[in-house]
Amino acid sequence: MDYDMLLNMGTELGYRLMSSGAEIYRVEESVLRLLTAYGLEPQVFAIPNCLIVSVTTPEGHPITQMRRIPAHGTDIELLERCNDLCRRLCREPLPLDQAKTLVDGLGNGYRRYSSRTVILGYVMAPAFFAPLFGGGLRDGICAGLCGLAVGLALLYGRRLIGSNSFLRTIVCSALASLLALLLVSLGLGVNLEAITIGTLMVLVPGMALTNAMREIMAGDVFSGVSRTAEAILIAAAIALGTTIALALGR
Amino acid sequence: MQLFTQFFLPALWAFLACVGFGLVYNIQGIGILICGGGGALGWLVFLATQVWLDGDILPAFLAAVSIALYSELMARLRHCPVTGYLQVALLPLVPGAGIYYSMRYCVEGWTQMFVSTLLHTLGMAASLSVGAMLTSSILRALLPRFRARGH
Repeated sequence: MDYDMLLNMGTELGYRLMSSGAEIYRVEESVLRLLTAYGLEPQVFAIPNCLIVSVTTPEGHPITQMRRIPAHGTDIELLERCNDLCRRLCREPLPLDQAKTLVDGLGNGYRRYSSRTVILGYVMAPAFFAPLFGGGLRDGICAGLCGLAVGLALLYGRRLIGSNSFLRTIVCSALASLLALLLVSLGLGVNLEAITIGTLMVLVPGMALTNAMREIMAGDVFSGVSRTAEAILIAAAIALGTTIALALGR
Repeated sequence: MQLFTQFFLPALWAFLACVGFGLVYNIQGIGILICGGGGALGWLVFLATQVWLDGDILPAFLAAVSIALYSELMARLRHCPVTGYLQVALLPLVPGAGIYYSMRYCVEGWTQMFVSTLLHTLGMAASLSVGAMLTSSILRALLPRFRARGH
C-alpha cells in the first residue's frame, strides 16, 4: 500500500474538516478513524491553526505531515460532506486512489449560497436580534440596515480593510455603530443599545467563547485557551471600534 | 395576548435570526429550518424558566440542555454532525451583549463594572457549554448503538 498517499489523504480530510469549522475532537477522531480503517495506527494532533498526522508503516518507517490551517469561517455544508465521506470510507474502505480522488474533490462542486443570499443572512440576523434585546419594529429595521453595511463590508471590502481580523472587526463595528447613531439621530431608530448590540451579534465572538469552553471541557485545553484569547481579542476590537464611533458621533 | 407578546413573538424572532445565521454559515436545505426551530425552542425555554427562576445562569443552562437534546435528536434522524444545529441554535443565548458591555466598560475605564460583567459573561458561556456538553455526553452514553454513527 502507498502509505504516503494514505497519509496525504488523511491530512487532506482533516484540513477540510478544520477549515469548515469543525471542533478539534471531531477533526482528530475523523482522521484517526479514517486511517485506522486502512489498517494503520495513526497519531493525530490538532490545534486551531495546525494539524499534525503521523503514521508508522509496517516496516517501521515513520512518516509525518503537518498542515497549517489559515483563518477560516464556518461552512456547515462542507462539514457535513466531509463527515459523510469519512463515515462511508470507514464503513467500506474504497481502493486508495478512488478514495483519494473523493477526498480531493470535497472542496469543490457543493451547494453554497450566493453572495446575495449571504448578505440577506447578514441583514436578517441583526434585524431579528434587535427585538430580542428590547428593541421595537423600527429598531429592527435599523439593525437590518446596519447589518447590511457590515455584510457588504465583510464580503466586498476585503481589499480596503485588509485581511487582518482585528482591524476588520474594528472597522466593521465602528461602521455599524456610526450608522446606528446616524439612524437614531435621524429619528428612524429609537433604542440605540438594541440596534448596536443586534448588529454586533454578527461580529461578537459569543459563539467563539462558548465553543472555547466546550473545547476546554472536552479536554482540548490548549485549543480552548487559544480560542478564548482570540475571543477576547475580537471583543477588544469591537469595543475599540464602537468607542471610536461614539467619540466621532459626539 | 400577553402570552403572545411575551413568549411567542420572541421565539419567532429567535427563529428568524437563527435562519439568518444559517444563511451566513451555509446550512443547506431543511437543516436551516431545524436550526431556526432549535433557536426558537431554546429561547422559549429560557423565557419560560426565567418566570420561575431568578437570574439567567440557570435558565440558560436549561435552555442549552433542551437545545442539545433537540439537536442530537435531529442529527441522529438526519445522520448529520450535530455541530451546525447546536452552534446556530445556541446563538440567541450566547452572551454577545455581555462581551460587548464588558469590553465597553473596560475601554471606558470602569473597572468594577468591567470585572462583574466579564465574570457574569463567562458564567453564561460556561453554563451554556456545560449544558450542551453534559446532555450530549449523557445521550451518547445512554444510546450506545448510535455511537458509531454520530462520530
